[in-house]
Formats: sequence, C-alpha cells, structure tokens
Amino acid sequence: MIRVGRVFAAYLRAGVGVMLQYRGEILLWAVWGLVNPAVLYAMWSAAAESNPDATAAGLTRGQFAAYYFVIMIVGHFATAWDVYEMGYLIRTGRMSPLLLLPVPPIWKALADNAAYKLTTLLFVVPMWLVFAGLVSPEFDTAVWQLGAGSAALVLGCLLNFLLGYVVALLAFWFTKLDALGEVYFGLGMFLGGRFAPLDALPPPIRWAADVLPFRWMFAFPTELLMGRTTAESVALAGLAVQAAWIAVVLLALRRMWSAAVKRYAAVGG
Amino acid sequence: MPQIEVDRLCKTFRVPEREGGFWPSVRSVFRRRFRDVQAVRDVSFTVEAGEIVGFLGPNGAGKTTTLKMLSGLLHPTSGQARVMGHVPWRRERGYLQRISMLMGQRSQMQWDLPVIDSFLVQAAVYGIPREEYQRTQAELVELLDLGDVLRKQVRTLSLGERMKCEICLSLLHRPAVLFLDEPTIGVDITMQARIRSFIAEHNRRRGATIILTSHYMADVTALCRRIIVIDRGRILFDGAIDTLSARLAPFKVIKIDLNRELDGYDFAAVGTVLSRQDRKVVLRVPKGETAAAAARLLTDLPVLDLTIEDPPIEDVIARAFADRASAAPEATP
Repeated sequence: MIRVGRVFAAYLRAGVGVMLQYRGEILLWAVWGLVNPAVLYAMWSAAAESNPDATAAGLTRGQFAAYYFVIMIVGHFATAWDVYEMGYLIRTGRMSPLLLLPVPPIWKALADNAAYKLTTLLFVVPMWLVFAGLVSPEFDTAVWQLGAGSAALVLGCLLNFLLGYVVALLAFWFTKLDALGEVYFGLGMFLGGRFAPLDALPPPIRWAADVLPFRWMFAFPTELLMGRTTAESVALAGLAVQAAWIAVVLLALRRMWSAAVKRYAAVGG
Repeated sequence: MPQIEVDRLCKTFRVPEREGGFWPSVRSVFRRRFRDVQAVRDVSFTVEAGEIVGFLGPNGAGKTTTLKMLSGLLHPTSGQARVMGHVPWRRERGYLQRISMLMGQRSQMQWDLPVIDSFLVQAAVYGIPREEYQRTQAELVELLDLGDVLRKQVRTLSLGERMKCEICLSLLHRPAVLFLDEPTIGVDITMQARIRSFIAEHNRRRGATIILTSHYMADVTALCRRIIVIDRGRILFDGAIDTLSARLAPFKVIKIDLNRELDGYDFAAVGTVLSRQDRKVVLRVPKGETAAAAARLLTDLPVLDLTIEDPPIEDVIARAFADRASAAPEATP
C-alpha cells in the first residue's frame, strides 16, 4: 500500500507537471465546466420567476442558484474521461508501455484525473466565487450536512471514476468508444441531476435515477451540501448506497480487467 | 536450466478485411468478413541466462508478436512459455518487475516533461531505492552520454537522443531479461554503433539476458553469437551466427582477380555471375561444386588471386526468405 501511494504520488506530480505545460488549456476547460451549469441556472431561474409562486420544481431562484453552484463544484471534482481516453490508447498501441509496468494503468489514470482537478482549481475557484457573487445562492446547510456531503462528494467522485473506467475497458473489445462515451456522459448529465434537479423529472425517470448509479455521483452529494437532504437517515442510506455501488463496480473492474488484458491485441509496433 | 523456455508457441489474430472502395465499405456494415492470420506457429526455443539472441526476419515474420507474448502483453493462442520460471501472460508483478521491453517505435516517456521526470516516475513505479536509483542513473547517463538532455522536454529531443533516453529508462530497474524490439530503428549509423556498444557493455556488466530484433544486420552481427531466423511465424534457423551460411545457404562465393581482361570466357558455365568489373569477377557456385569450379577457373584463366568465401549473411537470409516466398506465397500482416 505504501508503494502504491508512492507510485500514485509520482504519477500525480508528473500529471500536474503536464497540466502546467498547457495553462491556456486549463483555462478553457475551467470555462467549459462553468458554462453548462450557468446556462441551466439561467433557464431554471427564469422559469421560477415566471411562475406565480416564484418556484419551479419546488425551488426558488436562490435555491436554484445554490443547486447549480454546488453541482458545478461536484461536477468538477467528479468528472472522469477514461471512457474517451481508453479507446485512443488501445487503437494507437499506447496502452502497451503501460501494460509492461508492474503497476496497473488505472493508477496513472486516477493520478492524471486528480492532477487535472487540482491544477484547474487555480482557475475555477475564482470563477466559482464570481458566479456565486452574481447569482446569490441561498444555502440552508447544517454542519452535519456539510460533513456528510463532503463524504458523499468523495464517494461520488470515486464511483464515477471507477464506473467510467469499467465502461472504458469495453474498448478492449470494441476498440472505439467515443459514442458510448457520449451516452455515458449524457446519462450522467440527465440522471445525475446535472441538467435539472431530479425533483423536476417525471416519476418513471426519477425511479430510474434512484436505481442507476448516476444520481449517487452528482445529485446526492449536491442535495446534501446545499442542505436539501434534511433527514440524517436519508443521508446515511445514501452513503450506504454509494458504498454498495463502489463495491459492485470494484468487483466488475477486477473481472473486466482480467478478461480485457487477455483480449489485448497490442497493435502497432 | 534455461532462463527462457518457449514450447510450441502459437498466436493467431482474427483480422477484419474487405475490398477497397465505397460499396465494399457499405457492405461491411452489414456483413463483416474476418480472416485468421497465424502470426506465430509452433515456435520453440530456449535461451540461457546472460545470452544475447538475435531475432531476425522480414516484416510480419512474427518477431515482435513473439516478444509481446514473452513480455506478457499478448496471450498466446496455444503453447507454453516460461521466463525466469514465470508464465509471462499471467502478468505477475514479480515478473514485470524483472523484465523490460523496449519498443523502438513506441515511447515510454512523459512526452511533455523533461527526461528526468520520466526517470523519477520509473523509479517510483519499480520501487527502486533512492541510492540505487541515483547510482544506476549516473552510470547509465555516463555510458549513454545523456548529461545534456536530462532537463530537455522529451518532445524536443532528436530521435537518437530519445532512443538513448528510452534505453536508459528501460534499464533503471536493472531488469534480468531485456526484450529489445528494433532499438536502433531510424537513428544514424554513429548512434547505432553507440547503442550497440552500450547494449554489449550492459550485458557484460549486468549479465542480463537479451533478445533483440532488428532489421539492421550490423546490430545482430555485432551483438549476437546466436540468431533465430523466423519467417511467417516459423523458425527457419536457430543456432550460432557463423553456422547460418552452412545451414541456409548451399552455395559459396568465388572471387577472382585476373591479370588481364577477357571477353570471350563463359563464366556462366561455371556459376552464377554476381558481378563483373574490369578484371574482377564474383561467382556464386553450389557448395558441392566449389572445388571443381575453382580448379576449372585456375586452369582456364590467368588468375592473379582467387578466394572462396561464405556469402554475406544478409544475402543468405534474403535468399532464404525469397526461396520460401516463391515456394508458398502466403502473406502475413
């Protein structure tokens, strides 16, 4: 475990080094992460203001501001892109050097993911503050909700990364996964509550959101952090669901990885 | 006990194929056609600890596929292999920790960072103790003359500089077995010679077992006493490099130097004329007829000098591949 920690730290340092080579790109990615929630906030706040009771999906304008402010932060920390990256590594044979190492490539992917998130903080934190200043979010968050929400955020990040990696492993069979990546990303946006709060969705879709993992990556930590989940039992149950999903995905990862390396064709050179 | 044991190793790839053009492309959406390509067929050999073995063969012969199986990148279709007692494709950490595979066409370094950063990551990945890492790095940097490039960004290096860095990176953890797949590809003659002498020195100092593939015969003749010639996935020859001609080339080369030019003499009646320039003639004759051919030339002609040699190793291998190609025109990818 100590050794894995050292490897992760070395990959993380290198990942941060690579990110810092491309400062302009960091800025653009930071802007990309801001645009989507900002536009959706504008739409929903306009919808809320046009209603007689000044709410939409049970949220006021200020609560919409809090929701999109928090989900913007959750989305930043929980994002993962291996489902796009893996196909490229396999098609071009760039996976081969990684498979020759005595440490599984997932550690590099995890470190690169963390490096991106840490490095982009330089730009996104000021943007978040400006956004918050402009939209005046209304929070009703108790200390226990902040603690539980932070734990839910960490588990949500881990769940999205691991599930994304499992889906990405399908590239060992199908070689190119860009379209599947879009489907995965779209499901995360829709059923994870990034397009709209889940309360705004019709009951069958709400049910699908509850049984699929995406809600537990994005909406659940967001609702906790903005103080919308008020019952401690609901919070604990949600954390348990997150942990259960992580356990299932880890099991799937183990099986998929061992099947995937058997199929690897090591194309090119 | 051999360090590498390979027994009837086979690898078959299933590759999609179609005719060129628009309509075949549309048809392939509905009906895919596949072909099985036997990249490696019943390959068996052993390698002793500390040996350097050259793997020779044309493109698509199965050299790299064999190395990829031995390094654990590919699972074979059938057959067995053990390297230092490990089954390579089980990919045990203890195995991957003790080998290295250098792919000349594939970079293992962090493209956007200085060379030294890739070395540091490698040291962490292989868990190399700090003092050992510093000692090994200093030794390799000196031998490969890398002092000036350590702080340069990898993507700004010349090909030769990058290859030297890739070699250094592959050796930092002092692997006991080294698979070198075209380590001198694309670099100039001076750099090739430098890399060769480094590999020989590394083998001498560390006693590492090395399997080397290369298209450059000079790599193989300089480094390997033993070669394995492979074509279409099958081993054609496995033995000492100086016995290759005897096994694969049933002919000798006679070089004669005449004391005056002759126009009318029928050299083709003695053997195949390889070249003729002024008073120098080079003939290829069947091995069994060498003595008779030499005697006839000495009797018929005013010979100043006559030598009988084995053909150059490049010619032997090229002829062996050409003979097999004309005998069985089956392609591999």
